[in-house]
Amino acid sequence: MSFDAVVFAGIGKTFADGTQALNDVSFTVAAGEFCVILGPSGSGKSTLLRTVNGLAVPDAGCIVLSGEALTPITLPRLRRRVAMIYQQFALVNRASVAHNVIAGALPATPTLRAVLGLFGAKDKQKACDLLAAVGLAPEHLTRRVSELSGGQQQRVGIARAFMADPTAILADEPVASLDPRTSRDIMTLLRREARERGATVLCSLHQLDLAMEFADRIVALRNGEAIFNGPPSAFTASVETRIYAVDKARAS
Amino acid sequence: MTGASLAERRAVAGWAFPRWLETRTLVVILLAVGLLIQTGRHVEVDRMVRLTGDALMAAAGLDVDSQVARGVEKIAGSLFPLQVAKRTDISRIEGFDRTELPLLAHIETVAHQVERMNPETLTMEAHTETVEFLVEPVGYLIHVAAKLVETLEIALWGTVIAIVMSAPLAFFSASNLTLNRYTYMIARALVSGLRAVPELVSALFLVMAYGFGPIAGVLALAIYSAGFLGKFFAEDIENSDVKPQEALRAIGANKLKVLCHAILPDVMPQYIAYALYVLDRNVRTATVIGIVGAGGIGQELKGRFDMFNYSHVGTILVAIFVMVFVIDQLAARLRRRYL
Ligand SMILES: Nc1ncnc2c1ncn2[C@@H]1O[C@H](COP(=O)(O)OP(=O)(O)O)[C@@H](O)[C@H]1O
Ligand SMILES: [Mg+2]
Repeated sequence: MSFDAVVFAGIGKTFADGTQALNDVSFTVAAGEFCVILGPSGSGKSTLLRTVNGLAVPDAGCIVLSGEALTPITLPRLRRRVAMIYQQFALVNRASVAHNVIAGALPATPTLRAVLGLFGAKDKQKACDLLAAVGLAPEHLTRRVSELSGGQQQRVGIARAFMADPTAILADEPVASLDPRTSRDIMTLLRREARERGATVLCSLHQLDLAMEFADRIVALRNGEAIFNGPPSAFTASVETRIYAVDKARAS
Repeated sequence: MTGASLAERRAVAGWAFPRWLETRTLVVILLAVGLLIQTGRHVEVDRMVRLTGDALMAAAGLDVDSQVARGVEKIAGSLFPLQVAKRTDISRIEGFDRTELPLLAHIETVAHQVERMNPETLTMEAHTETVEFLVEPVGYLIHVAAKLVETLEIALWGTVIAIVMSAPLAFFSASNLTLNRYTYMIARALVSGLRAVPELVSALFLVMAYGFGPIAGVLALAIYSAGFLGKFFAEDIENSDVKPQEALRAIGANKLKVLCHAILPDVMPQYIAYALYVLDRNVRTATVIGIVGAGGIGQELKGRFDMFNYSHVGTILVAIFVMVFVIDQLAARLRRRYL
């Protein structure tokens, strides 16, 4: 696998209220790579990730997924292979763990069967396998999501993401609401599972230490502009200063 | 910095902690008080207080002439003793079978003297006449119980039909689910239209259309409750957590799939709570709308009231009280356990 999984070419996004969230962002992520989007809050990380599955529409530039350009016509097909993991998990709190995970198979399930809740035996098996892989136990299956700890909820979120055999996973600050120890566990899990299943990961983070530890590539954002793109080894103290220097300038 | 110097510091320019009572709040309170005084005069609150005070003093044993106390005494006197048995003139029972009496029943023979004019002598003569009654010792209680059950059945079916009707209404009147502006407006109009007519009023018209009996009751309850459930269900759907919905939409799940797997699981517990509340309420309302002829215990109550059978009315009132009390307790227990 040597083709480019995700290509951002000159992406720009200005919201209706005039906030410029992204400005001419261009970089390429190779298939199977674990790419960390690093930046302080408000730097445009979420917006950038959301352009990949159509939750945000860029008003400049173009995104290419596995060789196909993202357009309103290709989006409905392409987004089925792009999973997303959220900071606040975005699970149905009152539903069971099993229900939340199998919901990841909804796009591929015919509507009538989906409405009646008739998922295939293969999907059910896969949901169980994934829950085992992310480190949950059989007794969690019937438990409500709201009764789990934050770390366990994110494990459910990861299991759901892998249900659709994604080629790319967008992880938007997946560990921002977890403690440092659990954060590391979740990052390890995400990286391992993505590698095993050959999924490309775009993971936004604001913690430099986690980025240095887990990334194959770091793209640093500042005010919606990519100011660094390279391996962690090339990420120097001067780059770090540049990311945060701007914040100070803004606050004053 | 020490505490003293902190306290002595002057206010920082531009910062003023909001006052507890703003002028606007004060004006609103004054207006509200004025409105209450004005409307209180119309609904005779002053007389209500005076009459109630008299009644309380009379009840406490003071020598006060209280109109209310006299009224209550008269009602209580005529309602008690409660009617328990059922007594039927046998000559009025069609095809009466003396050998097969209902359970616990017996025949009572009443002899009474009748003065009748003898056509030959043209004088009044005393005769002894006997009338036979079939006495069922708890017959009326059983009759009332059957009517209570009918009331519960009316409430149950009114609620079930309302649930079925309210689901599509709620989907189309929730701004995040509706198909387009027109379905939204039509559904909204329907939901408020259904709620606009109180059950007692719609029952009055439904009795004209469907005749006396439970059908009118069921429909009257269903119509109002569907509007009620539709409104609250739609509000819940609109306020349900958007994050999981977005998560499913992002991987390409269509509207129906998002509805069934992100919205419904989120709002269902609340919806069940609403439905139980409506059922509880419909039991009470079903007793009331019976009074205009829509079946159940209310219809029996109205009939007895109009015939001045006040001891029967007493039995019915006690029965309604017991039923509502039991259902309240049951519902509270169920709610504690399952919600
Ligand atoms: N829906 C929106 N409408 C207007 N402005 C937005 C919206 N979403 C994000 N923004 C703005 O865009 C900028 C980037 O936001 P975001 O992508 O969420 O940053 P990050 O995820 O790095 O914290 C911020 O200034 C934010 O206020
Ligand atoms: Mg963000």
